[in-house]
Amino acid sequence: MPKPLIVLTDLAKKFGHKAAVDKISMSIGQGEVFGFLGANGAGKTTTIRMLCGLTKPTAGRASIDGLDVWRDRFRIRSKFGYVSQRFSLYADLTVRENLRFFAGAYRQDHINEKVDRMVKEMDLEPYRDSRAGKLSGGYKQLLSMACALIHEPALLFLDEPTAGLDPVHRQQIWDFLYQVTQSGTTIFVTTHYMDEAERCTDVGFVQHGRLVAKGSPRQLKQALGGDLLEVHVEPPMPAVLELRKFPGISAVDLRSGRLRIHAADPQALVDQWQQYWPFPGLKFLGYSWVEPDMEDVFNAYAQGRHSPNQVQAALK
Amino acid sequence: MNLFDSLKAILTIAYKEFVHVWRDRRVLLLILVLPPFFTLVFGHAFEGSNVRDVSTMFLDADNSPESQKFAEFLHGKNVLDALVEGSDNPDKVRKDISDLLQNLKDTFIWKKWVGDAKGTIDLVQNGADAAIVIPEGWGKSLQDGTPINMRAVLDGSDTNTAPAVQALLQQALGIFQLNERYELIKNLPEQVVDLGEQLSPQTQHEFSSSLTPWEFDTQILYNPKLLFVDYVVPGMVGLILQLVTVTLIASTITREREVGTLSQLLVTPLRQSEIVVGKVLPYLFISMFLIAGTIAIGHIHFGIKIHQPLLLSLVCFLFLLCSLGLGLLISAFSKTQTQAIQFSVFLLLPIMLLSGAFAPLSQLPGSIRIFSELFPLTHFCRAFRSVNMYRADFGFIAADLIALAVGAVITCIGAAYLLRTADD
Ligand SMILES: Nc1ncnc2c1ncn2[C@@H]1O[C@H](COP(=O)(O)OP(=O)(O)O)[C@@H](O)[C@H]1O
Ligand SMILES: [Mg+2]
Repeated sequence: MPKPLIVLTDLAKKFGHKAAVDKISMSIGQGEVFGFLGANGAGKTTTIRMLCGLTKPTAGRASIDGLDVWRDRFRIRSKFGYVSQRFSLYADLTVRENLRFFAGAYRQDHINEKVDRMVKEMDLEPYRDSRAGKLSGGYKQLLSMACALIHEPALLFLDEPTAGLDPVHRQQIWDFLYQVTQSGTTIFVTTHYMDEAERCTDVGFVQHGRLVAKGSPRQLKQALGGDLLEVHVEPPMPAVLELRKFPGISAVDLRSGRLRIHAADPQALVDQWQQYWPFPGLKFLGYSWVEPDMEDVFNAYAQGRHSPNQVQAALK
Repeated sequence: MNLFDSLKAILTIAYKEFVHVWRDRRVLLLILVLPPFFTLVFGHAFEGSNVRDVSTMFLDADNSPESQKFAEFLHGKNVLDALVEGSDNPDKVRKDISDLLQNLKDTFIWKKWVGDAKGTIDLVQNGADAAIVIPEGWGKSLQDGTPINMRAVLDGSDTNTAPAVQALLQQALGIFQLNERYELIKNLPEQVVDLGEQLSPQTQHEFSSSLTPWEFDTQILYNPKLLFVDYVVPGMVGLILQLVTVTLIASTITREREVGTLSQLLVTPLRQSEIVVGKVLPYLFISMFLIAGTIAIGHIHFGIKIHQPLLLSLVCFLFLLCSLGLGLLISAFSKTQTQAIQFSVFLLLPIMLLSGAFAPLSQLPGSIRIFSELFPLTHFCRAFRSVNMYRADFGFIAADLIALAVGAVITCIGAAYLLRTADD
């Protein structure tokens, strides 16, 4: 693993009695694209805000490049960029005015050249004098990233940068993120799109404020325990409901018309079904073995089918 | 990080804040139109027209040389030689005095005094519209440096007469006081003028007495709320500006908190102090412009005289700075814009009633007056009127100026402190 840049040690945040972030410990290496995954309300935003020094941790600590995120927050502010979950730029300022403002706020020199270059890189040229509030969702997001990157930080936090965007803009944003990593910038990104988790070099799953798994996408998929059984059954919709009730099956997902079966011993199921198909109303048309993807991993964790211990064991 | 960097950062914020106001056309229109409009409307509402032949009872219960001199003056005799001699423009002063004397003669029809000096005075029963009493010990009190107020009782049921008479009496007393001051200075031996510190305590008292505004205790019967335009315009201007500054700036930080830009602002290396100064600057600029405009309207339209513009500017500047600090403090601790507006309204209500903008503070009970001292408008009204109506100098209003400056510093530091996290 590369040299750790961000280190969390039992980091926790409580709102009243509710633990939004519950003793998270992990470290994120320099140059990684770290995907922080979790359902809504899992504690992703709260974690990012603590790391950015915007809110004080209730317990535990975290550091960026050796500096404490709360105690030294004024010193690390120029080292990272932050794109918040909501669009948080000045709607009544134009694209260039926003960029110029943040360049000034980050005490940059040669502001005009930097702003012009950023406008070009981000394809914002046609909108450079439009009010930020009038931009479409995708361009708003691009502008937010441009503002967060205007001071060329070594670390970028992005909180659900692609939420609600169409696939074209999502692609555009990820392409841009790859470009950013070329210069060695570390990226900490939260998302709940599982295909995006595949694009990360390192992934953490958070659930009810707890980190339930962390590793590369490959490691996490392997931790699921081998390939998944996919069966072809017609008609598929009623099949999902029927199969879910079948003993030995913990979950069934529908993917491109096929049923993905999560079970402790899938091979036994196949053997059994080939001899006797117990659903008279459904037609069994065949089966195959598929490699699990991140969505399977995510579903497994979200439905609590994997205890952290199991994962730790599997990762070893 | 040096001062120059800080200054650049401050200007970055100030420019952005200014653009916010500039692009918000409705707010812009509001702040450009409402203050002058209110000044005109309120001004006219409180303006008294020229009144004549007010039948007035007069009693000089003091019978000191000073009281006799003032009585003669009220009855239309010119006793203001010292004022003419002491002025830079004697011709103009002579003209002003003769206008005033003519006005006094036109206004009052003097009647014999009926009844006693201390008890209630019944105007209707005596067929009078007004009663004026120089209380016993007035002349001596002036020399002691603790001037007691004269007493005037006016019939307020006629909405024009009472304020006009009140204004005229206050004006006459003010001019008379000015004259006494010149007289005092004129009669000082030459060398004493140079060596002010060596004045006898007695003379020092007299000096300070001539600086403390000599006032009338005016009691308006039947309709005690009437006021007069000269007194009221500074209060009005102050009140309008107080409203505008607090409400304008009160939502700046909360808006950023609501929209989410505050978090974005707080992850930049901008310091809290830079944010606060950067936010106050454009509003200070705008409100200085507004206060100058409204005072100009008071001057042009209502003939309010402006004395010592530099000192008055300082008063306005500190008042606006303190008010903006207050608004920013509200903004920093409110969670939502609605809350900020609610806080402002609840704060402005007591300010309106207890700051002496319309009614003299002396009418309030002492315990309440302590509260009044907390409001910037109180200090503004007192300082502005002292300078403009009584030509007080810097030293005399220093306490008010210091209070405003301290208020500005405390509120701004408070606002900066509250900006340390973006927690909501
Ligand atoms: N300011 C707050 N006050 C109280 N509870 C909060 C606050 N912010 C977040 N929470 C709670 O903390 C939990 C985690 O929220 P958040 O970090 O926003 O989750 P995510 O970003 O993963 O959707 C949620 O249950 C949310 O309701
Ligand atoms: Mg979130």
